[in-house]
Amino acid sequence: MSEFHDHYPNYEVMANHGEEEGKKNRSVLWKVFWVMLAITVFELIVGFLAPGKGWSGTWWLKTLFIGLTIAKAAAIVLWFMHLKHEVKFFKWAILAPYIVFMFYTIFVILTEGIYSGKSEHFTRVDPIFVKQQADLKSGHHGGDAAGHDKGASHDAAPDHH
Amino acid sequence: MAHSVEIDSKEAWGGGRSPFNLSYGKIFMWFFLVSDALTFGGLLISYGFIRHKYAEVWPKAENVFTHFPFVEQHIPLAYVGLMTFILIMSSVTMVLAVEAGHRMDKKGVITWMFWTIVGGAAFVGSQAWEWYHFIIGTHEGGPTGIGGALRNVWDPATSTYVQQVWHGANMTVNEYGVPQFANYFFFITGFHGTHVFSGVVLNTIIFLNVIKGTYERRGHYEMVEKVGLYWHFVDLVWVFVFTFFYLL
Repeated sequence: MSEFHDHYPNYEVMANHGEEEGKKNRSVLWKVFWVMLAITVFELIVGFLAPGKGWSGTWWLKTLFIGLTIAKAAAIVLWFMHLKHEVKFFKWAILAPYIVFMFYTIFVILTEGIYSGKSEHFTRVDPIFVKQQADLKSGHHGGDAAGHDKGASHDAAPDHH
Repeated sequence: MAHSVEIDSKEAWGGGRSPFNLSYGKIFMWFFLVSDALTFGGLLISYGFIRHKYAEVWPKAENVFTHFPFVEQHIPLAYVGLMTFILIMSSVTMVLAVEAGHRMDKKGVITWMFWTIVGGAAFVGSQAWEWYHFIIGTHEGGPTGIGGALRNVWDPATSTYVQQVWHGANMTVNEYGVPQFANYFFFITGFHGTHVFSGVVLNTIIFLNVIKGTYERRGHYEMVEKVGLYWHFVDLVWVFVFTFFYLL
């Protein structure tokens, strides 16, 4: 161990190591990289194929993506940021809030977000916008080339965002 | 050196030493990263909420982000995938720089940190390129093609609402869908891009210090580790942003 010329503590967990231990560490790091690359490529392929095969928006696709993301995040935090080899108390001091926070996040998005999406009554969306979206979905375009919507209201401009 | 060290508890709490067998500077960086992650977490939660609220009309990312440099065709998500790969690679080179620092291998640190900075700069440049194409928009514009915003403008001459085809994106209206789509794109990727940029700046400062030999004189490369933690955090956030914005 080399001499430290400042206040760097000698008991630091990650203090300097030699060449052989360095080789071992590097091979672990490269392995983690290959796993993360494989996961990313897999995600991209699935993301690319999903619309064509009608997988978009399914619950299992979302679960798959979120699960793989958490796996990648865990790999970065545990190995690249070295949290796996820290003192246990510190590791959990960082991870425990995240795990709680992540579960809460997913809960909130799934319950509150989906609930608000289902309600048509309190979302103040422009009614003409809604109608035109419905027209688009059913595949027919309600207007002519100039875009005049034949069903448009002739009243005074209603208040909309 | 030892991992998972056992400390005599009297010694541990006796004072005069930083806790967890870590230096104060590194503990502080971790705590800062926790707070920053909560910031991004807040942004992503609000994004998830709005995105599901407008689930019916939210544009599909693979239809919007189809550009690739020097290529005319539309390849969905390819450039974003490349950006993710670049950032993960720069994270790997950063951790290799940290590992070289542990062996007091100054040349190794310089090499790997150089590639990290290059990767980070490439990512920021790519993000700027994505923003450019997002703001400029497509030739078709909305509302056709991507099922996006049908912008109705009151035309006093004909006293009707006239459907206006819109090109590009700004904070008020965009051709892809509801205004919030562009708002969140700019905000979340912009916030993350700022972090990447500041990370590149910090990395450059430390890189110059390594070349000067500051850390050789000190006897340890802990500063490289600390800035490495920040860089890994930036990569971590991108992993989440990439999933929630582009994939889901």
